[in-house]
Amino acid sequence: MGKYPRWPIHLALIAACFVMLVPFYWVLKTSVSGENIFSYPPSVIPRDPNPFYYVDVWYAIPFARFFFNSVVVSAITITANVVLNAMAGYALTQTFRGKRVVLMLFLSCMMIPFQTTIIPAYLITGKLGLLDSYLGLALPMFSTIICIFVFKASFDAVPRSLIDAAKIDGLSEWKIIWMVMIPLAKSAMATNVILSFIWSWNNFMWPLIATRSADMQTLPLGLARFLSYQEDSTGALYAFCIMVLAPGILLFLLAQKEFVQGLTSGAAKG
Amino acid sequence: MANSEAAIRRPHFLARKSTRRAVLIWSFLVPSLLIFFLYRILPLGWNVLLSFQAWSPMKPAVFIGLENYQEMFFDDEVFWQALWNTLGIIASAPIGIAIALALALLVNSDIRGRDIYRTLIFLSYPLMTVAVAIIWRWMFDERVGLINYVARIAGLVDKPIPFLNSFTWALPSVIAANIWQMLGFYMIIILTGLQSIPENLYEAAAIDGANAFRRFARITLPLLRPSIFLCFVIGMLNSVTSFDLVYVMTAGGPGRATEILITYIYKLGFTQTRFDYAAAVTVFFFVLLLGVTWTANRLSGGNAGAVEAD
Repeated sequence: MGKYPRWPIHLALIAACFVMLVPFYWVLKTSVSGENIFSYPPSVIPRDPNPFYYVDVWYAIPFARFFFNSVVVSAITITANVVLNAMAGYALTQTFRGKRVVLMLFLSCMMIPFQTTIIPAYLITGKLGLLDSYLGLALPMFSTIICIFVFKASFDAVPRSLIDAAKIDGLSEWKIIWMVMIPLAKSAMATNVILSFIWSWNNFMWPLIATRSADMQTLPLGLARFLSYQEDSTGALYAFCIMVLAPGILLFLLAQKEFVQGLTSGAAKG
Repeated sequence: MANSEAAIRRPHFLARKSTRRAVLIWSFLVPSLLIFFLYRILPLGWNVLLSFQAWSPMKPAVFIGLENYQEMFFDDEVFWQALWNTLGIIASAPIGIAIALALALLVNSDIRGRDIYRTLIFLSYPLMTVAVAIIWRWMFDERVGLINYVARIAGLVDKPIPFLNSFTWALPSVIAANIWQMLGFYMIIILTGLQSIPENLYEAAAIDGANAFRRFARITLPLLRPSIFLCFVIGMLNSVTSFDLVYVMTAGGPGRATEILITYIYKLGFTQTRFDYAAAVTVFFFVLLLGVTWTANRLSGGNAGAVEAD
């Protein structure tokens, strides 16, 4: 393309990044100082930063418990998702009777957002006796249509000749799936892991409905409850906020290529 | 038919196993199908059924016809308020998309550090919405929130605005927080669309003497149409079902100023235990979402030469 000055573009993008990052900074600053909750004007640089609010969080609420609950629910969700979606995705690459019906069913289920199912979902989970349990928290998210199609696309891309060669070598279908298909579907798997992690880790509405006891609360729920007890009166709320966000941000920065790919490939099928 | 033909052409050691294969395939599908039946299809049917009943836990269900719907449309002001707010959020999606389009065009130019810009702008999207809501509560705070502070320094206001406690400002504030979180996502989708536009189209247009604006209006925008509608559909669905953002930022208040259908459904169901009526509102909500999605898909489709979003 032609020559044009670059600095206005940089300026505009830096301004945009500034708007995206300042809220984080503001909360981080409050979490280490807490000072401007009571003082005006707020100072831009934290005066006398200290980690006391983080210590407060540790003692004021069962952070470790919430964290543990979140990890367990996410682990169950991710495992179930990868296994179930890979199985369904593989089945959809085969020809079989009733495939069109199954495809139609999947595509129409995609049009039903989870939020519009909450009342029956609550009643159903109650009937299964799974309210207030890890399994009940994870069960509605056990399989996702988007990820089934991500797996299907990835299995479809495996060269036919490779599968035929494996068959001629006498490998059973299970072995072909296990030793040929799965290793070639690594990126689909990464997409699936990331998407199901984000969905279960950030999920708020379902845990809010499906849990009763304080022991079963996950991190987002604990954070919202903490807000309703404390209002905005303490820096500890913001310390809690940072403690909840930090793992997500870290994970995102470490695997950002997979994140962007996963989140947008999910959408493209949406 | 086609199936048996394929079976004949296949080597014999596979053809013999065709029933076993069917069993294998179906057993691969059944777990997922079961989940979708339990948590998508059954709830949809149950909602419709419940919406025609008077029912609460521990009581027998009574068929009451359209009474729930009658109450909803004619006697329930909160429902209408929630509906208008929901439509307001849907109508605000283009604002976010327009900003994202501008950002995508900027990031798409060949400048240094574009990956860093992209990463930073995308960062807010995968984060926990509850935490995002708390961050924005803090930004909009009346006494010491950064936004009020900046507005006062700049002389835009002489008295701090209680954004989240104001009937005028609460909904726009929630919408702003929502756009902030969705922006990076829109940008990436549009960027993918931009990158799939063939470069030689621009070169040909430049040779024909089209200026930058005409190139944008005649090439970029039409070819981005599918991406833009994709953004709209996903963004719309994401925003109107963004229960956590509204619940944590304002809980629907002040009054019902930020009540949206999904928060209203939750309150009806789980604080007032009116499952039957909540189901009727849910059915309406579902039909509304289907309608908007369908319309957007119709508008996006049917143009020749469209570039796939993916």
